[in-house]
Amino acid sequence: MTLTFPYRFAVALFREDGTSLGTVPANRDWEPAHEWTRFYFQRRGELALDGDGSASVLPLWEHTLGEPYCRGYRVQIEQPGRRPVAADFSMTHFRDFASAVASVYVERKALRAGDRYSYLVVAHPTPEETPKNGGLTVTNSSPGLPARDATLDSFLVRAKPSGVMDIDDMPVFVSSRVLEEAAERTHAEEGTETGGILIGMLWRDVGTGELFVEVTAQIPAEHTSGNNVKLTFTAETWAAASAALRLRARGEIYLGYWHSHPVREWCKAKECTPEKQRTCHLAKDFFSPDDEAVIRAAFPRAYSVAIVANDKAFTDLTFSMFGNREGITQPRGFYVLEEKTSDTQISRAE
Amino acid sequence: MGKAETAMEIPLEISDVSGQKVFSVANAPAGNTVGELVHEMLGKMNLPRNDASGAPLTYQARLEREGRHLNASERIGDVLERGDKLTLQPNIDAGRGR
Repeated sequence: MTLTFPYRFAVALFREDGTSLGTVPANRDWEPAHEWTRFYFQRRGELALDGDGSASVLPLWEHTLGEPYCRGYRVQIEQPGRRPVAADFSMTHFRDFASAVASVYVERKALRAGDRYSYLVVAHPTPEETPKNGGLTVTNSSPGLPARDATLDSFLVRAKPSGVMDIDDMPVFVSSRVLEEAAERTHAEEGTETGGILIGMLWRDVGTGELFVEVTAQIPAEHTSGNNVKLTFTAETWAAASAALRLRARGEIYLGYWHSHPVREWCKAKECTPEKQRTCHLAKDFFSPDDEAVIRAAFPRAYSVAIVANDKAFTDLTFSMFGNREGITQPRGFYVLEEKTSDTQISRAE
Repeated sequence: MGKAETAMEIPLEISDVSGQKVFSVANAPAGNTVGELVHEMLGKMNLPRNDASGAPLTYQARLEREGRHLNASERIGDVLERGDKLTLQPNIDAGRGR
């Protein structure tokens, strides 16, 4: 499942008058697009669940200007004896990187804050590298997708949709107990961010082959430190969660994490007016770059999700879910599943 | 008390938090430190080295056999045995951000 780069990408920035600000290597994170591509074709049955073919990032040349100018990029995954599968991604995938580069130019006073700029993406073949002597000899021995067979319809009949559902998203079912426990913990720690690890099953519908996720339980995050704007997961947090998962011994896997956003505290600190609080963009479907970084570092697979408990001043607690859609973490809908059992809360393993 | 692998190179298995990214290392140099091993493996495993603000992330290597996190300064040959399993676990912040 290695990702190779036959081309090197770079972003060229220009001022509004067309003068060049400079060109920098596009050191963006390609892994979410790689993971999404792999998972997308696994969902469609076009890539084996244990397929470990190598993937490459290729330029999509701009129609008019041609090489080396790009209109986007392609992630292509090889599979022995079969045609490769590929997904194309647009220039918007470079927007955040270009914005970060523009900020650097603002710091260097080459660009003024608020100035408009434009950018182009170019790609050139990667020069052949001489293999280095020494270094680690590493083999990717990652397991295939740990999907088990089930019937999607048997989940849908006892589920209620929550949030905006996108028909192309993988269905995600969350036990109502998980949300209840998250709400309890959020209220208990009011004003401070808190959270937990989401665990459950990855299922494959026996009829259609569609993959879907069931979040069966949450493991309260132990050994964290939190305040009103952040929650720090430590190495001990993951070790405790791993022990709890093993103790539970139900074949569940990590599916992501949840954490609270004490929006009312943020508003209080900023002395926001009630009107402003009602329309605050942080109050719903807000997932910060820090939140995203946790998903990236701990739950990189494309089936992983994150839930945010929005603790607001004027309404009841609400939940937002985020997942990898087309290589970008985006808000998404999910299904709430009425729970049959009562033991989803997991205590810390001693 | 397992210990003191005398070979110059030690084969290991290293995974991420989720257990879904697993890499076999054929030749971890016994004389290197755990910190050096973690640093090199982050690149091989395509795990992020920095948080959202660009600050370096700290990962600790958990040795499953002993159920403890290794110190970055410990030498591989002193603490690891052939076939040991390590999990790389980050210290990382979620939240509203700065």
